[in-house]
Amino acid sequence: MAKNVKISIRNLYKIFGPEPDVALEYVQRGMTKPELLEQQNHVLGLRDINVDIHEGEITVIMGLSGSGKSTLIRHLNRLIDPTSGEVRVDGKDILNFSEETLRKLRRTTMSMVFQKFALLPHKTVVENAGLSWEIGGQTQKDYEDEARKWLARVGLEGNEEQYPHQLSGGMQQRVGIARALVSNAPIMLMDEAFSALDPLIRSDMQDLLLELQEELHKTIVFITHDLDEALKLADHLVILKEGEVVQQGDPQDILLNPNDPYIVDFVSDINRARVLRVRSVMTEARSDDEYAGEVVENDNLESVLAKSEGDVSLVYRVVRDGETVGRLSMLDLTKALVPTEGASR
Amino acid sequence: MATYDWLFSSLGLEEWCGQGKSGAPMSMADLLAKSKGDEAQEESLWDLPFPSMDALNESCAAFPKSRELTKGLEDGFLNIKDSLSLVLDPITQPLSWGLDGALYAMLNTPWWLVIPIMLAIVFLVSRSWKLVAFVAIAIGSLAFIDHYDYAMQTLAIIFVCAFLCVLLGVPIGIAMARSDWLQRSAIPVLDMLQTLPPFVYLIPLIFLFSVTESKLYGIAIILYAIVPVVRLTDLGIRLVDKEVIEAADAFGMTPRQKLFKVQIPLALPNIMAGVNQTIMMSLAMVVIASLVSAPGLGVLVLRGIRNLELGVGLVSGLGIVLLAVILDRVTKASLARVNAAQKQ
Repeated sequence: MAKNVKISIRNLYKIFGPEPDVALEYVQRGMTKPELLEQQNHVLGLRDINVDIHEGEITVIMGLSGSGKSTLIRHLNRLIDPTSGEVRVDGKDILNFSEETLRKLRRTTMSMVFQKFALLPHKTVVENAGLSWEIGGQTQKDYEDEARKWLARVGLEGNEEQYPHQLSGGMQQRVGIARALVSNAPIMLMDEAFSALDPLIRSDMQDLLLELQEELHKTIVFITHDLDEALKLADHLVILKEGEVVQQGDPQDILLNPNDPYIVDFVSDINRARVLRVRSVMTEARSDDEYAGEVVENDNLESVLAKSEGDVSLVYRVVRDGETVGRLSMLDLTKALVPTEGASR
Repeated sequence: MATYDWLFSSLGLEEWCGQGKSGAPMSMADLLAKSKGDEAQEESLWDLPFPSMDALNESCAAFPKSRELTKGLEDGFLNIKDSLSLVLDPITQPLSWGLDGALYAMLNTPWWLVIPIMLAIVFLVSRSWKLVAFVAIAIGSLAFIDHYDYAMQTLAIIFVCAFLCVLLGVPIGIAMARSDWLQRSAIPVLDMLQTLPPFVYLIPLIFLFSVTESKLYGIAIILYAIVPVVRLTDLGIRLVDKEVIEAADAFGMTPRQKLFKVQIPLALPNIMAGVNQTIMMSLAMVVIASLVSAPGLGVLVLRGIRNLELGVGLVSGLGIVLLAVILDRVTKASLARVNAAQKQ
C-alpha cells in the first residue's frame, strides 16, 4: 500500500494573538501552552505539526475539543494561515500561492464538508450540490446531470428540488457530501462531518463514506473527536493533544502500543475485540500447526471469538484472497484483548 | 455688580472686559431687568447662578453671551450657504425631477389605470388575494371621499424617496458590514439622524433650497428614513452564518461572488425588514414635510390644524393610517415570502 504523499505538513505552528511572531520564539524555545497564555497572552493553536497525508487514504485527525484539530484542517486549504511552517499539496507549498491560485486550488483540488453542513439555505438541493461548478462560472444546465448523479449516489434521489431546511440533518449532510463529490476534487476535507448527527445516522454515514471511498479512492482528511469513528474510518490516525501530535500511525498499532497516557485513557473505553483485526494480532505461519479453521485477515477479533466459542487452545489459519498469510492462536488473541497497562484505574 | 466679578478681577482681565460690548440682541430677561430698574439686591448663596455664558457676561461685557453662540452658527451657515448650495443644487436636482415626475405621472394617469396597476403590484409581491382585496377597498374608499389625489401624491413621494433610500442605503450598509472602521464612524451619524427631531432637518434645508423646489422635502424625507435600511443591511450581512461564509471560501468563491451569491441573499430578510421600516418612516416624514410644501394628505392635516377644521384633519389623518397599513402589510407579506424561502 505504498502511496504518494498528497499533502505534507512540515513544522507547522499556529499561534493566536496580537503578536504571534514574538510568541513563536518563546514556543520554539519550549514554552508550554498554559505558560504562553499566562505570560504572553497568546494562545498556542498548533505546535510543530509534521504529518504526511497519503493519496487515496483516509487520514483521521482525532483529538478532544481545543486540541487544534479544526485549526489544523483549515490550514490545508488556507482558511487559516499558519504562523510558521509549510503545507505542500502535490509538492507545491500552498503558502506561496497568490489569491487567484489559491482559489483555483480550492475549486479544483480540494473540497470540504462541514460539521453544521453550511448549505446555502436559499438554493435548492441540486443547486447546492452544483456549487463548485457555479463558482467556476457554469450554469445549472452544465452541472445538472453530474449533480443529480452524485445526489442519487448518496441516496437523495427525488429530493433535488427541495430546499435544505426541508431535509433532516442526515440528509442535509448527504447534500454536503454530494457537493464535495460533484466538485470532482481529489482531496476531501471533512471537519467533524458526522458529529452533529445522531448515532444511528452517523453510523450510516460512515458506511456510506467507506463505500464511496472503495469506489473513488479520494484522499480524505477526516476530523473527529470520537475514537470509535476514527478507528472505523482511519487508514492513518493522527492523535492531537493541546496542539501537538502525540502519536500517529496505523490505528491498530496505536491501539496495541499506545505511547502516551493520554491515548491510553482514550483507548481504554473502547471494545477492543470489535476494533482489532486479525492481521494486527497474527503471527507468522508455522508448518506444524493444526488449524481449527480459516479466518480472513480483516476479520475483527470479535467474530473469531464467536467462531472459537471461547476455546483458547485453537489455532486458525489466516488467509488473504485464499492464500495463507499467517497463523492466529486464540492465546495471542486473548492477550491482545487485555487492556493496556494504566488503562484500568 | 454681578456675581462673578471676582473671577475676572483675580485673573487680571478687567481691562479686557472693559473693552468689549456684547453685540448680541437684547434678551427678554434683560428688558425686564431694565424696566424694573436696578435694585441692589443682597445675594445669598442660595441664588448663586451657574457660571454660564450669560452670567459671566454680566460681570464682563467682553465675554460672549450664549445667544451669540447660536447667532455665530447662523452667520457661519449663511456664509457657506451660497457655496454649499452651488455644490448641492446640481447634485440633488435629479431628486426634484424624480419627485415632480412621479407626482405628474400619478396624477395624470387616469384612476382606472393607476388602481389596477397598483393592485397587480400588490399581488405580485404578496401573492395574497386577501391583501389585494383589502388594498382595493382602502383605496376605493379614499377615492370615494375625494381624497384620491392627495393619497396618490403622498404615495408618489414615498415611492420615490423609499426607492432612493434603498438605492443609497443598501450599498452604505454593505460597506459598513465590510469595514469595522466605517461602521464605528457611521453609527453615531445614524444615531443622530434617527433622534434629531424631524423639524430640525427642515431648518437648514429651507436656507439651502427654495421652498418651491420639491427636493427640499425629498432630502428631509431621505435623511430621516434612510437609517433603518442602512442599519439592517449592515446587521444582516454581519449576521450571515460564519460556517456558510467559510464554505463559500473553501469552495473558492471570489469576494464579489460571496457578496452577491451568499451574503446579500442571506441578509435579504433583514434588508427587507429595513425597507419596511424605511417606508414607514418616510410616511411619517411626508406629513411633517407638508410644512415645506410637500403635497399630499399632510397638507390636509396641516389645514386641519391651522384652520381648526376638525373633520378635515381627522379624515386625512385616518387616510394616512390607511396608507400606512397598506404599505406595512404589503412589504411584510413580501418579507414573509422571502423568509419562507430560506429559513434554516
